[in-house]
Amino acid sequence: MAEPFTITEHTNLALATIMARKGVDPAAIEAALADTQLIPTGPGTWLAVSYCDPPPYPGEGRGPVPTPDLDPGLRRDTLKDLASVSDQSGGYIVYRFSGPAARTLLQRGAFIDLHPSVFGPGSSAVTVIAHIGVILWQADDDTSFDVALFRSFAGSFRHWVEASANAHDRHPDESRDPWDPQV
Amino acid sequence: MRIPCPFCGNRDTQEFVYRGDASPTRPDTDEAMHDYVYLRDNVAGPMREHWYHAQGCRNWIVVTRDTRTHEIISAEFPR
Repeated sequence: MAEPFTITEHTNLALATIMARKGVDPAAIEAALADTQLIPTGPGTWLAVSYCDPPPYPGEGRGPVPTPDLDPGLRRDTLKDLASVSDQSGGYIVYRFSGPAARTLLQRGAFIDLHPSVFGPGSSAVTVIAHIGVILWQADDDTSFDVALFRSFAGSFRHWVEASANAHDRHPDESRDPWDPQV
Repeated sequence: MRIPCPFCGNRDTQEFVYRGDASPTRPDTDEAMHDYVYLRDNVAGPMREHWYHAQGCRNWIVVTRDTRTHEIISAEFPR
C-alpha cells in the first residue's frame, strides 16, 4: 500500500455482550454504563469493551479461561433487572488497525462506506470481511480502527489482511487516491 | 442488491438470510396447516418478505420489495 498501517492485537480487553431485558428502555442501560465503551450491535444489544490489567489472557497459547476483571459497571448486579451480561473475552480477538492506510485496507474488505464523512470517530458497524463476521469501530483518533471477530477465525482473517495489504503489487499506481471516483 | 436494514443501514444481501413471504399466518386448524406450510403465491410486484440480518444486527426484517425490479419499497422490524 502507498502508505503504511500497523496491526496489533489487544491483549488487555475484557469483553461482554449486553442484552436488554424485555421492556427495558435501551437508554436506561446506556445511562447505567455511561463510563463503559459500548458498541451497539443491534436493537437493545451492545458489545461492552473495557481495558483490564493484568490482561485476562496473558502470553501465547491461551490456556483455561479465567474470569476477566470486568469493569465494575458490567457486573451483573449493576445491571440486575435491566440487561443480561455474557462474558465474551475469550470468544473474540480484537485487532487495532492504525496508520494512514488502515481505512483503505478495511474498505477493501467491508461492503459498507468507510469514508470519513460517514464513518468517523465513534462510528461502528457489524458486518462481514472476507465472509468473516466482524464488529468494527473507529477509535477516537482519525486513523485507528478496532476489529473484533471470533477468535478461531483469526488465522483466516490475517490471511485476508496480508493478501489485501499486498494488493498494490498488482496496481503499480500507488499515488492514486482510493476515494477518487474518477480512478 | 442492497437492503436498508432499519438498524444497520444499507447492507449487501450477502449479510442476509432470505425466508420468503411474510404474509402467511399460522392457522388454528389442522386442515389449513398444509396450505400454510407448503403453498406460496408467485408474486409479480410488491411483496412483503422476511429477511434475517444474520451477519449484522441479527434481527428479522420485513422488506417490501418489487419482485420485478428489486426496488425496495420499505424495510422495517416486524414489531
